[in-house]
Amino acid sequence: MLDKILPNDIYKILKYKVNLNSINEIRMRADKPIVLQIGGKRIFLGENGVTSNIKDAIYASKIMVEDVIFRASECSLYSVNEQIKKGFIVTEGGIRLGLGGDIIEENGQIKTMTNYSSVNIRLPHEVRNCSLSTFDYLVNVNGVMNTLVVSPPGAGKTTFLRDFIYQLSERNYAYNILVLDERGELDIGQKGCIGSFSDKISFARKVIGFENGIRSLSPNIIVTDELGQKEDIDAILYAINSGVKIFASIHSDSLENLSKKPFFKPILAEKVFQRYVLLSMRNGPGTVEGVYNENFSRVVL
Amino acid sequence: MKILILVLLFLVSVYIGYLFSRKYKTRDNFFKAIIYLCQKFDIEINYSRQKMKSIFDSIDEKYKKDLKGLDKNFLAFVDKEMSLDKESLFKNIGFLKEEEKDIIFNFFKTLGRSDVESQSKEIKNFLNRFEDFSIKASQEQKKYGSLSIKLGVAFGFMVIVLFI
Repeated sequence: MLDKILPNDIYKILKYKVNLNSINEIRMRADKPIVLQIGGKRIFLGENGVTSNIKDAIYASKIMVEDVIFRASECSLYSVNEQIKKGFIVTEGGIRLGLGGDIIEENGQIKTMTNYSSVNIRLPHEVRNCSLSTFDYLVNVNGVMNTLVVSPPGAGKTTFLRDFIYQLSERNYAYNILVLDERGELDIGQKGCIGSFSDKISFARKVIGFENGIRSLSPNIIVTDELGQKEDIDAILYAINSGVKIFASIHSDSLENLSKKPFFKPILAEKVFQRYVLLSMRNGPGTVEGVYNENFSRVVL
Repeated sequence: MKILILVLLFLVSVYIGYLFSRKYKTRDNFFKAIIYLCQKFDIEINYSRQKMKSIFDSIDEKYKKDLKGLDKNFLAFVDKEMSLDKESLFKNIGFLKEEEKDIIFNFFKTLGRSDVESQSKEIKNFLNRFEDFSIKASQEQKKYGSLSIKLGVAFGFMVIVLFI
C-alpha cells in the first residue's frame, strides 16, 4: 500500500536504500526535511538512504503532503471524512496517517480538515511473540484478567495488543474476542493477525461499539486501543458490569502520570484493571518495563 | 467506368456528411453521459460513499461508451503517480470546444478532493454547466446533424450533375 501513497522516488529510496520493515514512522512536513523514526530514533531521509545531516535531507513540499493524503484516501477524501475529522486516515493494511492542517468547524463541530501541512505515516508491524513474556501474568485459571497496556505514543501498545490476541488464539483459548478497532489499526489485514476467534467492529466510538458489540456478538473479551476520554471510561465500566473482560491500552509514560488523569480516577477507584503492562522505548519500541497489579505493585520483570 | 467513379464520389460526399452528423450526435451523447456521471457521483458520494474507482467501475456500459474514453483517461491518473493534465484527460477526444474542455477538466480536478458536503455542492455547480452544454449540443445535433447528411447528399448529386 505504501507504494500507492508515497511519491515514486521517495518509495524507491525507502525500499532499496532503507529497510522498510525497520521504519516505524515517516514524517512529511511542508518545506521541511522528511524524518524517519527507526527503532525509536529519528533520522532524516536523504537521496542515498538515511542521513543525520540535514543538508543531505530530502525536503517535502506542501503539494507532496497533500498528494500523499489524497492518494491514501484512494483519491476519495469524501469517503474518509469521518476519519479526517478525528485527525487521521487509516489505509488498507493498517497504515495510519496522522494529519496536520486547518480544521474547519461549523456550529461547534469539526466539519473537515483542509490546507494540509504535515502528515505522519505510521507503519504497523506485526511483532510475533512480543507479548509472550507477560502472557502468563495476564491469563490465569479463571481466564484473561482485565488488563491495561500503558505506554507513550509509538512504544508498541497496538503491536502488543495485536500479538496478545494472536497468542490467545494460538493457545486455543476459545474466547469470543471482540476487537473494537476504533482507528482501524489493530487488524492490519495479515492472515491470523487478530486470531481465529475474533469479531471486529471498526471505526466506531468505544461507547457505541461496546454497546452494540456486547448486545449482538456476546464477547467474553473486548480488546480496544487508546482509551482517551471520559466516554471511553463509561464504555469500559459498562462492559465490566456486563461481565465482559477488557484488554485495552492507554497513552502515558508512567503509572504515576496515569493515575493523575482525571477521567481515569473512577477506573482506579473501582480497581477495574487487575493488570497493568508498562511499555517504553528504552530498548526500542515494545520494551516491557513491568507488569503491575491493581495496586500498582510490580508483579513481574 | 465513369458511372462507377460518379457513384463513388456520391458515396464519399454522403459519408463526409454523415461524419459531420455523427460528430454532433457524439457530442450530444457525451454530454448526456457526463450528466449521468455527475448524478451518479452525487448519489454515491452522499449515500454509499464508495471510492471513486468503484464508482467509475459501476458506470452503465452505454454511458461508458458515450464517454469516449474520458473515464479511462482519468482512471489512468488515479492509478499512477502523475498530475492530472488536460492533454492526457482529453486524449483521443477531439469533438469538444476549448471552453467545454476547461470546465470538464476543472470538474475532474475537484473530484475526490473534499468532504461530502463540499463535493456534492461542487458537483451540482458543474452539473448546471453540463446541462447547458447538453442543451446546446442537442440543439446543434437537431439543427446541423440532419443538415450535414442532406448537404452531403445534395453535394453528391451536384457532382453527378456537373460531370454528366
